[in-house]
This record gives sequence, structure tokens and C-alpha cells, in this order.
Amino acid sequence: MTTDATMLELREVDKSFGGLRVIADLDLIVKEHEIVSVIGPNGAGKTTLFNLITGIYRPDSGEIQLDGRNLVGLSPHKITELGIARTFQTLRLFLNMTVKENVMAAQYGHTKVGLLRSMVRTPAARREEKEIHHLAEEKLSFFGDRLMGYRWDQFAYSLSYANRRRLEIARAMATEARILLLDEPAAGMNPSETHEITELIGTLRDVGGYTILVIEHDMHVVEGISDRVVALDHGVKIAEGSFEAVATDPRVVEAYLGLRRTETK
Amino acid sequence: MNWSLFFDLTVSGLTLGSLYALIALGYSMVYGILKLLNFAHGDVYMIGAFLGWYALHALGGPMNPTFTGAVVLLLMFVVAMLGCGVLGVAIERFAYRPLRNAPRIAPLISALGVSIFLQNSALLIFGAAFRDYDTFDLIGVKTYNIGNLFFSVPQLLTVVAAIGLMIALTVFVARSRLGKAMRSTSFDREAASMMGIDVDRVISVTFFIGSALAGAAGVMFALVFGQIYHFMGFIAGLKGFTAAVLGGIGSIPGAMVGGLIVGLAESYATGYLPQGSTFQNLYVFALLILVILIRPSGLFGTAQIQKV
Amino acid sequence: MEQSPDTPRIGVDEWVASVEGKRERYTGLRGAVFRNWDRLPPAARVLVFAVPAAIFPFLTSQGNVFRYGLFTLVYALLALGLNIVVGFAGLLDLGYVAFFGTGAYLYAILASPQFGNHWQAEAAIPVVVIATAVVGLLVGLPSRRLLGDYLAILTLFFGQAFVVFVNNANRINFPFFGHVDLTGGSNGIANIDPFNFFGYKIDSTMKQYFLLLIAVSLLLILLMFVNESRTGRAWRALREDPLAAEVMSIPVNRLKLLAFVCGAAVAGLTGAIYGTIATAALPGDYDVGLLITIYAIMILGGFGSIMGIVVGAVIVSSVPELLRSSANARPLFYGAILVALVVKVRPWRLLAAEFGALVALGFGIHGIASAAYPRLVQGESIGSGAIPRALDHWMLYPRDAVKIADLAYIVLIAAIVVYPQLGRLWRAILLPPLLYLIMFVWENLLLLHIGGATRLILLGALLVALMNVRPQGLFGTATVEIV
Repeated sequence: MTTDATMLELREVDKSFGGLRVIADLDLIVKEHEIVSVIGPNGAGKTTLFNLITGIYRPDSGEIQLDGRNLVGLSPHKITELGIARTFQTLRLFLNMTVKENVMAAQYGHTKVGLLRSMVRTPAARREEKEIHHLAEEKLSFFGDRLMGYRWDQFAYSLSYANRRRLEIARAMATEARILLLDEPAAGMNPSETHEITELIGTLRDVGGYTILVIEHDMHVVEGISDRVVALDHGVKIAEGSFEAVATDPRVVEAYLGLRRTETK
Repeated sequence: MNWSLFFDLTVSGLTLGSLYALIALGYSMVYGILKLLNFAHGDVYMIGAFLGWYALHALGGPMNPTFTGAVVLLLMFVVAMLGCGVLGVAIERFAYRPLRNAPRIAPLISALGVSIFLQNSALLIFGAAFRDYDTFDLIGVKTYNIGNLFFSVPQLLTVVAAIGLMIALTVFVARSRLGKAMRSTSFDREAASMMGIDVDRVISVTFFIGSALAGAAGVMFALVFGQIYHFMGFIAGLKGFTAAVLGGIGSIPGAMVGGLIVGLAESYATGYLPQGSTFQNLYVFALLILVILIRPSGLFGTAQIQKV
Repeated sequence: MEQSPDTPRIGVDEWVASVEGKRERYTGLRGAVFRNWDRLPPAARVLVFAVPAAIFPFLTSQGNVFRYGLFTLVYALLALGLNIVVGFAGLLDLGYVAFFGTGAYLYAILASPQFGNHWQAEAAIPVVVIATAVVGLLVGLPSRRLLGDYLAILTLFFGQAFVVFVNNANRINFPFFGHVDLTGGSNGIANIDPFNFFGYKIDSTMKQYFLLLIAVSLLLILLMFVNESRTGRAWRALREDPLAAEVMSIPVNRLKLLAFVCGAAVAGLTGAIYGTIATAALPGDYDVGLLITIYAIMILGGFGSIMGIVVGAVIVSSVPELLRSSANARPLFYGAILVALVVKVRPWRLLAAEFGALVALGFGIHGIASAAYPRLVQGESIGSGAIPRALDHWMLYPRDAVKIADLAYIVLIAAIVVYPQLGRLWRAILLPPLLYLIMFVWENLLLLHIGGATRLILLGALLVALMNVRPQGLFGTATVEIV
């Protein structure tokens, strides 16, 4: 397999809130078509990492580049247009919009028809609407029957928890991004749903061609999907490598479980 | 440099500022705990002024008081503050508490409804004519002076009383148990209730204190300016609100400082800026816009960090 | 959807199911109406409104067309414009009527004796609309980054600043032009020209009515189209969750500005039209009172519901007019109370008992008063008609009622605040006295001021009550919010 190009690169990224250093001197590389998992105990800075990449926070210092293009200082919607999309740890769907509308709304960045043409419904506007509908259906079909058919017109708040998580992924896909940042996609799921998500992430890469950066706590998922694992603790990268290497790395074990009693002497 | 003009403006600025500070405190405290802009707060201030008027006339009126001037004044304040405090608690109970879990716009509209209701009830009962306080005989018309600094008794009274009330409030919030409960509730209401704090009671007390202060401000305004009318709460409320935002909404010291700044700014504007007295309100608004643009969290406010 | 009352249903998210059930539970006639309504294309829905509205002027007098028709349509236009900002994009704009005023004054400057300009409508209207839109842009620019409440304050102050400015702009000294009377000060600008489209003058009430009707209908259709479009979805997403929208490629700040500008443009257009109707631009027309009216329309109709706004405009425009005379006001007031009682007091037996107790109580009080305190029944009831005559031996009408009525009013307010806190038994027992008190205050105080303060008091009370009972308004959909 030829080496894929570097897609996303972070160099010496630093972020503090007040006196608290949340991300410290972080280097990270994600190559095209890779699935990289980010693990670490709570408070390690994983979601902050996502927020930095997507432009919600601005790093105090360091560089973030997509395909060599600098992202720091760009507004979040611009970064999304450039090809990065994300889901949220706590689910942030547009609850009072329908399933399909959620997915259609996310296509704003790569569609063009403005207000005036929408108001009078020019042929170009109607054509684009059709395309938007079509793309939304296509993305939703990724999840089997679950979000298809009558579900399209159901309001997002009426979906079950697992379906809401799926919808958020579909919405991120609809931005036509090339790299997906999934923040704890399997949180709160039962074993069979977790298994499905694991397969789904693989399919997203294999069939959809996405590059994926995942935050996860469930080690089964991490084991099942990752090409590479990065472990963070208190904002610092403490290990990186294959799942086996990272899972057995003593610093990672210590971060999660603390020191072994015998070693404190 | 016309020093006597400057001192005059400063004195009236401090007087106004004290009023705005008292009103701003009510806004700030309520916003701090409930994240609600209490539109009706200015009207509580208006009711305070009218309650003071009724107390004055119940005690014989300015010509024929049943007690000495100082006692009558004190009673006026007590009546206004108690009455407004109770009113504030009633408003919260009736118009805001049922809407704690409703979409955020519902309490705002309810507040608007209460404001309309209060203003027009005052119109109904008190009529549209301005009412005079006529307290000159009670307090005296004399102006005192320290060198070039001239002030009247009502002005002095206002500033001193306001400072006294604010000190009392600061001590209360900093030292008492209830004060601590208020502070923790404003940080995180849910967590506070889980720590055993009776959030409903804390909110009621907050409204009581804020409204009582507004009521006091109403009486003070009437003593200084002599006239009250049913619509007086609107602009005063806006300016009190400006003060709260300027100082950092949710912050008690911020409300005090903000009030003083707004009062002084308004006063100096009438004296020094072109066509100041006509456009004085405009200048105050312009000040607010400037503050919001440059430092949205105000002077003492903490920038809200939203956990994503 | 079958709802079993008490036992939880296994495997179903109860909360979700209950909300869903509420939305789709309309059965019978109401359900059929709603379902069919949803299926109509936008043009058809507008016709449902436009056709009766077009017939209306032929069924009634010119005076009524002016009072009820024109103002309803003006309010509807304004509310629809405001809906773009508040209902679509979720931005709380409390200075909106200032844009309305801007449009009116700008048109007045272009087409009145004030400066000697007499522009024709086809030139003046685009200029006014674009200029107002620019003002909207300027106001919106600082507002972009503001959280909801700050935006409200900023716009509120802009609205106030506008009124102050317009009231005083007859004394400004511009550096080059010298002394300019821009807006006529508190007298405003009078004798505004009617619209003149290529020679065709809109100078009668009927012509103005139909112009407005066309404008409203067009705007309705345009808005319905926009709602289902890319921009409309983006606005709704922005209203739902601005942060998530931003990360989903939606340029939130730009869209907020766009909403502001569109709302301002609509208000500017309406302002120009209103200028020709009122034939004068006066500062007092563009103040908080109108703002509250327009918001009342949006609140009643339901935020975001376009047709609901039209209904809201009809109600808010006609009801206060109807309430001007006591002959109309009484049936409306008592009718409303009756409806509230019938809806709220169950079962039927209790309702009947309460009525009976109320009637008995009234006679009792009247009897005691006649015997012991004759002054309390020697006054006159206000107005005439069947109702006051019926009430004459039942309700107290004191001589020199003012002081007693004022006191009763204050007691009533306290009573209404305390009443909901009571337990069921006390509420049942105290309902008749409370009702008697309400009627006493109504008959002796509120009716007296029916032309003025009373309407606003009722409005204020209505707003509070509405938020408690149905925060989404009459036609709005209950929104789900995660706080």
C-alpha cells in the first residue's frame, strides 16, 4: 500500500483556559483514509482537540493544517467547507427540524442558490433543491432502513437515542467533508448497537472514502476500528501507535487506572 | 474651566448614578440567577415612588405630618421598600416561576406582560397626571455647600442612602448563609438545589431585595425631582439596565459602578456635549452600544465560557 | 395513538411518545382540518386568506375598511417582516418599529411638501426599501456576535434612539447645510403624497386596501417559499443551535445579518405604505406601543407560523377596536370568563354549583348592602343594555365608586396572585367570591377606562396568561428545547 498523503496536521498546538492548560504542545498527524482513535481519561482534552480543529476554539499557539492549508483563525463554517465535519459528544441535532431537514441543512456550504432565487423559485433553484433532497436521501441510506421512508418527515426529537446518533453522523456526512471527527459515537449504546457502529465506521472509510478521527472510551470499538491510536492525558500525548502497543503502554494504564500499589514504594 | 458647572454636574451625576445603581442591582441579581431580563423591574421602581407618595399622605401629607420630617421620610422608605419587595416576590411567583422550564422566550414575554399590566394599572388608579411630592416643607429647600460644591438635602440623602444600602447588600451577600446560597445558585442552579439549597426561596429573596432597592430608588427619585407619573419606570428601567450591562450583568459591584458611570455620563452629556439636554438619552444609549461592542461582558462581568 | 393512562409502556421512550402524541393527536374535525391544511400548496393557503379579504370591503362601510381592514393588513405586513427576524432566525429584535418609522419618514422626505420632493412611487419605494435595508445592515453589524439577550437590548435602544432622534431632528445644525428640519420634530411631517405609480394614484381607501392586500399576499407566498428553501433551513438551524449550525457549514453571522436586513426591508416598505395611509409621519406612531402590538400578534399567532400571524393580526387589530364601547366590551369580557370557566372547571356538577353559589352570593351581598350600607348600591352602572339591567339588583354599584374600586382592584391583584397557590378545596370555595370581585372591579372601574388603560391591562394579563397556558401561541408548534 502506498503511503497516503497527510491530510490533517497539528503542530505544537497549545490551548489554555485561564490558568488551566488544556492542550499542551500537541503534535498529531492524520493521513488520508486512516482511522485514528483518540483515547484518554475524562478531562484529557479530547473534545477540546476537536473544538480546536473545527475552529470553535482558537489555539494559543501552534499550527493546524488541512492538506497543507492553515486552519487557524478561520471561522468554523469555513473550516467545514474545506472538508472537516464533526459530531458532538452530547448530540446537537436541530431537534425541531425533521430528519431530512437536518441532513439538508448541512449542505448549505456547498450549495449556491441565494435568498432571491429561492423566493421566486427559479428553475435553477428548483433543480438545486432536488439535488439537495437526493443527496440527503443518499446519506441517510447509509444506515439501512433506520432513517429512511416515513422517518424522513419525523422530527429529530422523536427519534430514539441510537437513531439520533446515526442522524448526527449522516448530517456530518452531508457537508461533503472528507474527514469526519466523531466524538464518542458509541456513547450510551447497548452491545448490539455498539457492534453496528463499529462496522459502520469501517464502512464509512471503505465505501465512503472518509478519513476518520474518533474519540472513544469503549475499547472494543477502538480495537475494532483503529489503524492507529493516540492517547492523551491532561492535554499531553502520552502514547501513540497500534492498539496493542498503546493499550499495554504503562503510562496509559497509569492514566486510566492509577499506579499499581506495589510500585508506590 | 467652569468649576461650578462641573461640580453641579458631578453632584447631579452622582445622584442619578445612585438611582441607576440601585435599579441596576435588581436587574443584575435576577439575571445572575435566572438568566432572565426582568422587564417589569422599572415599573416596580415606579410603584415604589407612588407607595412613598401614599405613605406621605397617609401620615398627614407634607404640610401636616404626624411625625417629624425624618421619621416620615423613614416610614416612606420602609413602606416603599416593603411594598415593592412583596410585589417583586408576587411577580416572580405568578409570572416567572411557572415558566422555569418553558422555552426561554416565554418568561421574557411574561415579563413584558407584567410591565404593561403594572404601567396601565398605575394609570388606572393614579391617573395620567403627574403627582407632586411637595416634600420641600418636610426636608427644606436649602442647598448646602462645601466650597464650590453645591448640593441639596435630597441629593445628599440619595447618595448616602444608596451607598448605605449597597454596603448592606454587599455584606449580606458576602457573609450571610443566604447570601452564599444566592451566589452558588447564580453559578449553577441545578447543582445548588442538589446541595440542599432551597432554590425557590433563594430566588424569592433575590426578587425581594432587588425590588425593595428599586422601591427605595423610586422614593429617592421623587424626593429629588419632585414629580412622579405612571410611565416613569420605562426610561429609568432602560438606564438601570444599561448600568447593569455596563458593569457586567450578574455582578453586584458591577451594577454599582455601572450605575455611577451611567449617571455621571448622562449628567456630563447634558452639560458638555452638543445639544446635550435634548439628546441625553441618546448619548447614554450610544455609551451602551460602545460598551457592548468593545467588552460585551461589561466591566466586572466574566466572559461566559460555554462548554461545548 | 392509544394512550394507556397510568402504566408505563415498556420499550417506548415515554417523553418522546407523549410529545409526539400531542402533535398528532388531533382527532375528529380539528384533526381533519389540520391534516388537510398541511397538504395545501402555499398558493392555495394564501387564497384561503386572500379571497375573503378581497370580498370584505364590499360587505361593509368605508369607515370599517379603514379602521379594521387597513390597519389589520399593515400590522400583518409588519408582523410578517418581524417574523423573518424572530420567527425564522430566532433573533430577538426589540427595535423593529424603528425600521417601520424609517421607511415612513424616508418616504415622507421624498414625497411631501417638507422638502418639496414629490417623487413617484416607482422611484420612491425602491429607494426607501433599500435605504431601510441599509439601516438594518448597520444595526445588525454590531449585533452579529451578540448572544440573544444582548441583541435584544441593543435593538431596544436603537428603537428608543430613533424616537428621540425623530422627535428632535428639527433642530440639528449640520456643518455645511446649516439648520435643517429633517423630521418636523414632534409635529412630524404632514401632507404626505399618496402613491403615484406611473400616473396612477392610490388615493382612496379602497385602492389602498387592495394595494396592501396584494402586498400581504405576495409576501405570504414568498415567505412560504423561503421557509422550504436552503436559506430558510439555514435560518431554522441557526435558531435551533447556532453553534451546531456554524459547524455544519452555515455562516451564522452572515445569515443573522441577512435576516435583519430582510426584516428591515419589509418594515421599510410597510412604512412607506403606512405613510400614505396616515398622510403624516409622527414620532409617536413608532414607539413601544406599536412594538408591543406587533409582538402580541406574533405571540398570539405563534412564532414561525406564517398563517398564524395573519390570524393574530386580525385578532389584535379588531378586538381593541371592538372593545372601545362598553356595549361591545361587556359581552366580550363575560364571554371570555365564561369560556375560561367552562374549560377549566370540571366536572359539570361543580361548575353548576359554582354558578349557583355565585348568583346566591351576589344577591346576598346586594341585600346586605342595601340594608346596611346603602351608599354601596346607589351608584349607576356604566353604559346601558341588557347586561347592566340584569345586574342592577345583583352587583354593587357604589356612589363615588372610584376609591372603593381602586382598593378593590389592588385586592383583586393580590387575590389573583394568591389564588393559584391554594389547594383544590379552597380554590373551589373561593371561586365565587373571586368571580364577584372580578365583576365588581370590571363594572365599576375597568369599564370606565375602556377606551384607554383597560385594554392594555387586559393585554398585559393576556400575555402572562398565554405564556402560562400555551407558550407557543395559538398556531405555533410546541418546540422542544434542551436547556
